[in-house]
Parts: sequence; structure tokens; C-alpha cells
Amino acid sequence: MLRNLRRPLELSIGTARLQISFSQEELYRRALIRYQGFETSDDPGFFIRLLDSHEVSAPSDFHYEWEGASLRCGDREAVFSGVRHEYALDSLLRVFLSWTLLPKPGFLLHAATIVRNGRAFVFAGRSGAGKSTLAALAPAGAVMTDEISLLCAEGGEWRAYSTPFWGEFRAAGKHRHAPLAGIFQLVQAPQNRAERISAAEAVRMLLPNVLFFSKEPEANRRLLQTVSAAVEGVACHRFEFRRDASLWEALPA
Amino acid sequence: MSAASTVWQRNPVLAWREITGSAVIISPAESVMHELNGTGSVVWRMLDGQTTVEQIAARLCTEFDVSEETALQDTSSLLEELAALKLILPAQAAGGAKGATAP
Repeated sequence: MLRNLRRPLELSIGTARLQISFSQEELYRRALIRYQGFETSDDPGFFIRLLDSHEVSAPSDFHYEWEGASLRCGDREAVFSGVRHEYALDSLLRVFLSWTLLPKPGFLLHAATIVRNGRAFVFAGRSGAGKSTLAALAPAGAVMTDEISLLCAEGGEWRAYSTPFWGEFRAAGKHRHAPLAGIFQLVQAPQNRAERISAAEAVRMLLPNVLFFSKEPEANRRLLQTVSAAVEGVACHRFEFRRDASLWEALPA
Repeated sequence: MSAASTVWQRNPVLAWREITGSAVIISPAESVMHELNGTGSVVWRMLDGQTTVEQIAARLCTEFDVSEETALQDTSSLLEELAALKLILPAQAAGGAKGATAP
């Protein structure tokens, strides 16, 4: 029964290489299914240990609690305690990623990402904005993610990465990335129209859609700096769209 | 001390940044975002824990071509609003420390 637990799960999400050690067989089995498209054989950069109980000596550069489960992370390691099911693991992984992405700089965004001609079109919006609708209308194989996208700057270029955090808790997608073509605020409308918005408008549009969990002033300053850098480096648009395949014609080339 | 000679400072727990002339402010504890327009951003920049309300109003007079009375009224009204949201604090209450600085 413990055979599988001896081999940690190694994942590649965004630019992070994670090694996750489990203490519960059932959770390990579910995580294998949930994150199957993101397994990697690359050397890990972060080590995450899942523990049944809270560990006093766990690293604590950053601490977060979610429904009885908690996360403590340091420079290259983290401890997730009290994780009873895959929903809690998913939540803590998102919190962990949002924290580790910040200095890259990068962030997680409520957004569907569609790849067209090798470039990533990121459509931001909370539940009900139309992310799933848009993903369903995309050509086969073009959907990078339908719920949460990871945006990260590398060598001065902003790229979008897929994440395993798909809508309705589906196990879907695989590790992939593409340079950003643009970020689009989803607005359902009777017509299709993409209109460029200012940096200030883009920050206003993006911030409520960014997944961020720290209440530390300094971390929030860095978040603001990161989002500002993103909107200065990437074209941002307000995207009015009809719920049919004609919407693709309104996107900039 | 009269209201016009009061000194305010930005709440040091806030994160804020000026983006194309507008001050965008995040209150981390409540995860709330605020945004000030051009005039509000000029006032915001001057909330350094040293400048009086009167001095801020005088600056608005020169930048926006308004009367002293109007500038003082508008400034006081904005500061009341910011104080109610705990985005600013009286400088004395914060021990004279400098307010939050833009990154």
C-alpha cells in the first residue's frame, strides 16, 4: 500500500518545478489523476511535504490557512498540513504558486487562455464572465486553460502558462506555454469588438481577477508593481463578444 | 490646530502606485482596491506627513485654476473621505513616521 507514496509527485507548473511528498495514499492517487498532464522528470526547485498534522518547525516566510489546512513556506520548501482532500491541495497549491511567482515576476489570473498562431490570448473574468463559453468555442487543441492562467515574465517577455486548475475540477490540460498576444477583459455583448484600454484601466480590470492571498503590505506592493509591469508590457483590451464562433474574427492578429 | 493646518499621511500599511496619473491603492487587510482621479492623485502625492491641508489646497489653486475657497473645500472633503476609509492617518497619530511610499 505504501509503495506509491515512496515516489513523490514531480510537477511542472509555470516555471516552477515542484516535488510533492504525500502521507496519504488516497490523496496521492487522486493527485496523480488531477495533475497527470503536469508531471515532469526535471530536477525540482521546490519541495512540498504534505503532513497529517501541523509541524512547529515548518518554514514560515509565508503562512496561510484554508478550511483547517495550512501552508507554511520558505525559500525552497513548503509544508502543507491537514490537507484532507484534493480540493484543499488544489487551493494550497494555488496559494503557494501565487507566492513563489511574485519575485519572477508573475501571477495567477482568473482567465481562460487560447493559443492562436503560436501566441497566447488571455481572457480574464470571474465566474460567469464567459471563460468556459469561450473555451468551448475554441478550435480543438487551442485551449491552454479554461479557468486559471499563469502569467510570468522571462527575459523581458511575458508568457502564459497552462495550469492544472481547470473549471469544475476537471483533470485536463498539460504543461505548455506561449508568448502573450494580449489580455482581454471579457464582456458579453450583442456584437464582437476588441478595444485597447489604458494601463490604468487594465490594472483596474486585472487586479480583481488576480489570485493573491497575502495581507502583507510589502507583498501587495510587489503585486501592484508586477501587475503594472504586465500591463505596460502586454496589450490589454476590453473584449465584447457574442457567444458564437464569430468572436475569433474580432481579435487582433 | 485648525483643520487647514492639519497634517495627514498615507496609511503605511497600504500598497499604492501611480499609473498614468492615477493613484491605484490596495488595502491589503480588506483586499480592496481604490483609485483616485487626477486631482485626487495630486493630493495623494502630497500626503507625506509634513504638508498641511492649506498647502495642498494652495497647490491645487495653481495647478487647476480654482479659487482658494473651492480648493480648500474640495481638499477637505477628499481627505475626510480618505480618512473614513482609513487610507490616511493624522500625522501625529502615526508618530510622525512617513506614509507609505510608492514602489
